[in-house]
Amino acid sequence: MARWKFPVGIFKAMRIAWINLWRKNIVIQYPHERYELPERARWSVEMTLDENGHHTCTGCKICENTCADYIINIDVSVDEERNKHINHWLYQRGACMMCGLCVEACPFGAIHMGKNIELAYFDKEDLTDDLLTDTDAVKPPRKERPAPTAKSEPVSQEAAHDGAGKTGKSTKEEGGADGDNS
Amino acid sequence: MNPWATGILHTLLLIVVMLLNGSLIIYMLRKVLGHLHLRLGPTELGPGGILQLVPDIVKLLVKEDRHPGKTDRWLYIIAPVIVFVPALMAYIAIPFSDKLIGFDVNLGVLMLFGFLTVIPLGIFAAGWGSHNKYALIGATRAVGGAISYEIPLLLSALIPIMLTGSFSLKAITMAQTTSVWYWLPAFPAMIIFFICSIMETNQSPFDMSEAESELVSGFNTEYSAMRFGFMYLAEFSNNFIMAAIMVSLFFGGWSLPFINPNTMGAFAPIVFIIKTYLVIFAFMFIRGTFSRYRVDQMLAFGWKKLMPIALVYTVVVAFFVKLISMKTGGGL
Repeated sequence: MARWKFPVGIFKAMRIAWINLWRKNIVIQYPHERYELPERARWSVEMTLDENGHHTCTGCKICENTCADYIINIDVSVDEERNKHINHWLYQRGACMMCGLCVEACPFGAIHMGKNIELAYFDKEDLTDDLLTDTDAVKPPRKERPAPTAKSEPVSQEAAHDGAGKTGKSTKEEGGADGDNS
Repeated sequence: MNPWATGILHTLLLIVVMLLNGSLIIYMLRKVLGHLHLRLGPTELGPGGILQLVPDIVKLLVKEDRHPGKTDRWLYIIAPVIVFVPALMAYIAIPFSDKLIGFDVNLGVLMLFGFLTVIPLGIFAAGWGSHNKYALIGATRAVGGAISYEIPLLLSALIPIMLTGSFSLKAITMAQTTSVWYWLPAFPAMIIFFICSIMETNQSPFDMSEAESELVSGFNTEYSAMRFGFMYLAEFSNNFIMAAIMVSLFFGGWSLPFINPNTMGAFAPIVFIIKTYLVIFAFMFIRGTFSRYRVDQMLAFGWKKLMPIALVYTVVVAFFVKLISMKTGGGL
């Protein structure tokens, strides 16, 4: 039989509960008040628009190949002049895990992780989103690379000599090695 | 007027009172627990979410009434009725004022406790008839708890009865208007009664019979729709009844200090209901503060602590009552 002690804890707990009863609540009334998302919050993928309000997707499909969930499907058609035309840029929002790999992979910064947190829909079809429909792809800006050296350019004499000397040396070394072996 | 018609009308009135009480207490519980947790409870429908009562009740009414297979059919069907009817009948003996009382029985307290004792039977019938292990465990716990806590409950209720010399709730209330309210001379009895009331109404920290974290929902696991609604309403109605008995026995019923109880008139029931809701608030405060006991702790507390205290205190009070009545020649 343990020694009986006065149950102080009960009254402590009741005091704390009484204080809490009159404290201001810590709840955000969601539809009426909004929580300010942190700067780095990542939600569903969105198209990045330039200053003219135009997308910058080139239809290169790198994001589609990067996607771990196979949820990006870009339907691209190419005409005779090798201009790409994006028919559909399908993005299954319902299956996306917001990992951001596609954004990292995009070499043109055409997509970014948006801040739209309201991803509940009444209809199953709304979960698949067509981000771009029937638009021309942007031609990627070509870097001015140095003109490639022509293969037909004759090798200079020195270089040829050097090469020969090198080969000579190498053959000698090889020969020596052979001698050692024999 | 035809006695049958009056009887039916009175019963309907009681049902309306019970439904209103039940839904109000449900709303109040959600609000109080919400504020205890630094939340708000219901807010959207109506001012302060008060209209949330309507969809709550409508939901219970229009849900599909599923009858699981393999149940003990008759027990399963009749159990909510066994739980609901005593909770309804107990309103008969509650004295809202000296005129507003369903039926002033001179054994009112015993009648009330008699009704309330039937409720664990219905709970056990529900648990047994559900053919579900969780329901059965919940039901057995409910019965064990009720058996162990009703004895101290009755013993502590005996003390105001002894002080008054009557079993009628109205007489007890009237006796308190002339002397002091009984919670002062019978303070330990009031505390014991309060603890046992919490047990009797299946509330946390003694809500063994529907411990959501251990048993799915206890004895009403397999119940849905209005059958569940009966149980649910009965539970909250019991809450009101226990609080009303407590107010009648220990807090002077519909009387106020320094006011002649015969001149209160229509104000008396309002006072009674306000007092009752304050006691219900105390129940809810306890419910939101403490965590659940283990079942063995609960039974040990009931048998080893409350029972001896209640017994000893009853004997002591009886001794002093007898002493005083011998000195004064009968009566307190």
